[in-house]
Amino acid sequence: MNRLILAAAALAALTLGAQAQSYKIATEGSYPPYNFTDDSGKLGGYDVDVGTEMCKRAGVECSFIVNDWDSIIPNLLAGNYDAIMDDMSITDERKKTIAFTDPYFPPDPSTFLTLADKKVDYANIKGMKLGAQKATIQANYLESNLKDGNTILTYDTQDQEMADLNAGNLDIIFLDGSVVGEAVSASGGKLKADGPEILIGDGVGVGMRQTDTELTKKFNTALQSMKDDGTLDGLITKYFPDKKGGPFYKK
Amino acid sequence: MLVDILPQGLKDFLGQDLVFWLGYISNGKHLNWYASVQYTLAAMVLGAAIALVVGLVAAAARSNGPLPLRWFAAAYINIVRGVPDVLFFLFFPLAFEQAVEWVYSFQVCTPETLALNAGRWPPCDAANISFSSFGYLILASVSLGLVYGAFVASVIAGALRAVPAGQLEAARAYGMTRMQVLRRVHIRQMWVYALPGIANVWMSIVKATSLLSLLQILDFVAWAQRLGAANFSRAAGLVHDDWRWRYYFVLLVFYILVTFVSEKIFGAIGRRLRRGMPLAEQNAT
Amino acid sequence: MTALDVLIGEVVRMAPAALFNIYFAVAAIPAGFGFAILLALGKNSPNQIVNRLSRAYIYFFRGSPFFIQLFAFYSLVLAFNLSTWKPLGIDGFVLHPLFLGPAILALNTTAYTAEIFYGALITVPRGEVEAARAYGMSRRQRFWSVTWPNLIRIAWPAYTNEVVFLFQATALVYFTLPVIGDQRDLMNLAEVLFQRDYNVFLHFGVAAGYFLVISFAIFYLFGLIYRRLMRHLPQERRLKFSWRRVQGLS
Repeated sequence: MNRLILAAAALAALTLGAQAQSYKIATEGSYPPYNFTDDSGKLGGYDVDVGTEMCKRAGVECSFIVNDWDSIIPNLLAGNYDAIMDDMSITDERKKTIAFTDPYFPPDPSTFLTLADKKVDYANIKGMKLGAQKATIQANYLESNLKDGNTILTYDTQDQEMADLNAGNLDIIFLDGSVVGEAVSASGGKLKADGPEILIGDGVGVGMRQTDTELTKKFNTALQSMKDDGTLDGLITKYFPDKKGGPFYKK
Repeated sequence: MLVDILPQGLKDFLGQDLVFWLGYISNGKHLNWYASVQYTLAAMVLGAAIALVVGLVAAAARSNGPLPLRWFAAAYINIVRGVPDVLFFLFFPLAFEQAVEWVYSFQVCTPETLALNAGRWPPCDAANISFSSFGYLILASVSLGLVYGAFVASVIAGALRAVPAGQLEAARAYGMTRMQVLRRVHIRQMWVYALPGIANVWMSIVKATSLLSLLQILDFVAWAQRLGAANFSRAAGLVHDDWRWRYYFVLLVFYILVTFVSEKIFGAIGRRLRRGMPLAEQNAT
Repeated sequence: MTALDVLIGEVVRMAPAALFNIYFAVAAIPAGFGFAILLALGKNSPNQIVNRLSRAYIYFFRGSPFFIQLFAFYSLVLAFNLSTWKPLGIDGFVLHPLFLGPAILALNTTAYTAEIFYGALITVPRGEVEAARAYGMSRRQRFWSVTWPNLIRIAWPAYTNEVVFLFQATALVYFTLPVIGDQRDLMNLAEVLFQRDYNVFLHFGVAAGYFLVISFAIFYLFGLIYRRLMRHLPQERRLKFSWRRVQGLS
């Protein structure tokens, strides 16, 4: 009986092994402009373009797969894929469980987003309904800084919190500054970015398993060459036309 | 895009707006959505087939098996049914994956690699196993089968008891052996009594397939959510508000349609099964 | 730390979460029960409009997954926020998961319960109702003193089953509705804990244990009520009431 199970497991491993060496990168596919599913049904966005070019330069084959944000680190550790590219900020908290490559997007201040007619005293936020996406740096920040006197709601996806903000079920949402620009301009004056910008995290990196040091090195070399020849800056300008302060990486 | 192949005359007749919306609901993202019905349907059919087999085996073990097996079957039926389907549905694929990794780790892990990963999972990196989304679809169907197999088991156990004793006695009087009575009379007549219950379990399985997206399978529900979510990025396509309720409405209609068609089919099967069985016709509801 | 300590620690940690599931069920049951009586009568009504509407309601909620109903109703209620709930000043209440969760559960269980009550209603012995009419009882009197006691006795085992299912359906609420602070139910907490250490057997096992124990408690409680309902009948005429029988779907 035991041998039978072993044989089955070995067989499973064999068939899996045959597909290996091509790496899988997980992304949410619903976090524009970092990653999204476009109208033709294909994955696109900054994460996807950077990842594709990075793999090409590292000489490895990569494919993108879709995974929900809140289980994206557990499923990396469980081995369902080999890397995460989903606007994931490098933080000490996350470094306890996973490793990161060098950043491929500069540190991005987080911003508050409210309805345009809303007036908020950001030095003293009280009695507000605050929203953030589950398991993000912003959710952590709200939890540790603005918990008292406010109600904090967490959502599975970014579009859910946006919907609740638009419908008036939230007073403020707190999210990555680089995402806000397009959201505000598409809202036609309904939304505004507001309040202080708060810097959390050390830029955006590719999430890796701590044991995959070889692959992390390869990716780092590839990213460095993209930084040096201006490819990365080009992609930043393409997806984040509002982002000021470039060039970010080219010397 | 699909609308591009329409002749210009037809486009003029339909008008610009209609052509635009036809184009929108036939774009690649929508086509992915329609195609993803296959995962939902596959999980329904596969899950139901597994549930039927598991249910038959468990019902047989519960009523005729040796003592430990009987207890095991009873425990399975009662425990699975005392727990929400979603919990077992999420638990089983994870537990299965970990069990395979655990067994596998005895082969591939060395004491050094085990020490490296101490207190973490998997036991060592080499023992890491991952399934493709196809693998998860199979696992999801198996968990559906295991959950609803417990329901099938009690339906069948009840149906076996419902077959009139006179029918079995008459079969024995004809000189049939025990096995013959069981196969030719008892089990055959059992289906008539089991059918309403089995139809109910099928409906439950149909509805439970809405949970597939929780296992990261891009099914009919997951695509609907993606399509309905507000989009503010021009790079991602048409910029629009929150349209989720429209897509949820389609999902509700889809499931009600499946239920409706299933009802009709089970009704037809029931009428066929009951032919020439006046007794069953009275009792069937 | 022994395995037992870990287990006890987990049981203690999950106890507050279990209260959320119990609250959802307890808040949804009375409303579902009341509306179901009306709806069952509606399905039995000779008035074509009432009849059709009742049937459509029951068909809609029984024919579609509760999981999608949660999503659909949340986005629907949200869509009315600025136009309706805000001006009335009840938006914080209406959109609160602790209100909306039980509300959608109640809508759902109303349909399932109504179907059970309707099934019982049409099997109430005719003779008893006719006898009551012969005594000159009014319609209302006939219903509450003859039809209803019969109906609830016939329906009780199946209704018990529905309550257990309703309790289990509470596991889906926080998959859909926003989570406020640390207000997590069993399923949500089990997932969060699992994502920290991947111990699927401990976290999901203990959550499953809670569901199992509470399901049995519901069953026991409803069994006691059933015995009270049947106390006037001679022993042999009482329907058998067992876990297996109650869970029978047919």
